[in-house]
Amino acid sequence: MSAQTTSMRDALYEAPGPKTRRRILIGTVIAGILVCLLVFLVVRQFYVTGQLSPKYWSFFTRPTTWRFLWDGFLGTLKVAAVAGAISLVLGLVLMLCRTSHLKALNVPARIVIEFFRGVPSLLLVYFFFLVVPQYGIKMSSFWMITLPVGLAASGVLAEVFRAGVNAVPKGQVEAAMSLGMRPSKITFKIVLPQAIRFVIPSLISQFVVVVKDTTVAYVVSYPDLLQNARVLISNYDALVSTYFVIAVIYIIVNYLINRAAVTVSRRTGVKIIK
Amino acid sequence: MSSEQNTGSEVAGQVPMIELRHVEKHFGDLHVLRDINLKVGKGEVLVVIGPSGSGKSTMCRTINRLETIDSGEILIDGKPLPEEGRELAAARAELGMVFQSFNLFAHRTILDNVTMGPIEVQGVPRKEAEESAMALLERVGVAEQAAKVPAQLSGGQQQRVAIARSLAMHPKAMMFDEPTSALDPEMINEVLEVMVELARGGMTMVVVTHEMSFARRVANRVVFMADGTIMEEGSPDEFFDHPTTERARDFLDSIKGH
Ligand SMILES: Nc1ncnc2c1ncn2[C@@H]1O[C@H](COP(=O)(O)OP(=O)(O)OP(=O)(O)O)[C@@H](O)[C@H]1O
Ligand SMILES: [Mg+2]
Repeated sequence: MSAQTTSMRDALYEAPGPKTRRRILIGTVIAGILVCLLVFLVVRQFYVTGQLSPKYWSFFTRPTTWRFLWDGFLGTLKVAAVAGAISLVLGLVLMLCRTSHLKALNVPARIVIEFFRGVPSLLLVYFFFLVVPQYGIKMSSFWMITLPVGLAASGVLAEVFRAGVNAVPKGQVEAAMSLGMRPSKITFKIVLPQAIRFVIPSLISQFVVVVKDTTVAYVVSYPDLLQNARVLISNYDALVSTYFVIAVIYIIVNYLINRAAVTVSRRTGVKIIK
Repeated sequence: MSSEQNTGSEVAGQVPMIELRHVEKHFGDLHVLRDINLKVGKGEVLVVIGPSGSGKSTMCRTINRLETIDSGEILIDGKPLPEEGRELAAARAELGMVFQSFNLFAHRTILDNVTMGPIEVQGVPRKEAEESAMALLERVGVAEQAAKVPAQLSGGQQQRVAIARSLAMHPKAMMFDEPTSALDPEMINEVLEVMVELARGGMTMVVVTHEMSFARRVANRVVFMADGTIMEEGSPDEFFDHPTTERARDFLDSIKGH
């Protein structure tokens, strides 16, 4: 049994070998080719349908357009950052309750986690937008989008944290117990620090989901990137070109986040738990 | 306590450091400990030997309640081992445990590993804890590694740190569960040397090991376990040279073959 825990730790620290690296490379190349092909098809279709005509694109040369988009981008970042912070804290708390030996804690936590994980964030947004105000609770549009996105992500993060806790070898806890450490000390000094290290890459990659979830901000008219883009669309009657530019921005942002996750994962040799 | 006092639990009038009375333990249907009765005197070194699966680790782990027992009694220094809570934690703090797989805290430095117990459990000020930790690391010969993390050390070094970590708590007794069986042969001796020195210093020790040379050098008594029972016990020379049971003879033949 003790030998098993050692090998589990080894597996967790294992850096990607030549095979894995080659697979990553092949995947990247194939994906690259597919993307190029797709871009080509899209551009051709645009050309055919006249979407490439200057009237749909010229407003992108104006600084005001970009300033407006930049404001939206900052809005998106603000929502994503605060929702991310909420989900980290709440996810951790939910996981601690979920793994508690007290039924009064772990049963409700399990239900809450499953609920947040299962319900589409859009529904949660509608709940904060339509239902909550009926109880006389006034919220700014920022919180009407940030809270539901954060709550939805906290359910997922609770499970990510739990996977991290389960990955800490049992021997670590036994060693701490044999020193006479109390359960709470063991959790906070021994288990969580290691569990969090195991899940950092997964947490970063989960942030992509949060960024994507922020796009439902239009429901509550919060000026995020997508909402501002919709304003541009109606002002310039330029649907395809604007969505195209916006999509590229989202893709770049999320690509960068994923890169960060992969880099951290490679540095620490920790696998990304999806 | 000097080594002259290492005469074992038979000393009249002395309360044993560790005592197991009629201890029974099941893992599901598997009866792993059957009516175990054992006394370990203060300053005594007890070696536990026996085939794989005979319950050696389980017995060792019941002594600080890493495994619970179904029935029977465990007494530490004459007092029943508490079953839970603060009292159990306090009892564990007084018993050192060294594991086969070292179990050093992977996210902390070697120095932190040794100071963790004193600081977090005993409330020793950091500076003081670090000074005694360095002295202990010096004693087990790994002081230069203090700033590294466990993964950067060899198995032998890690196990010596694990011993230092236990010693930092000033335990009344220490349990060793096959401390050298995860080590490469060339590292076994450096760990055994530390243990021999501890034994000579009067530490009460329960050591699960198949290292006969170690047993002959420092053990006061050898206990042979098979199928969850203590089949035979005696002085190392008695046991190794003239085992009385068939099981013990077969087992000794099998390990001498290596
Ligand atoms: N947590 C557990 N759950 C179920 N069975 C267990 C558990 N731990 C040990 N066992 C079983 O109990 C029996 C005794 O195990 P134990 O580890 O005490 O043996 P051991 O004498 O230390 O053997 P080894 O020399 O292989 O370490 C074995 O059959 C083992 O499979
Ligand atoms: Mg064992």
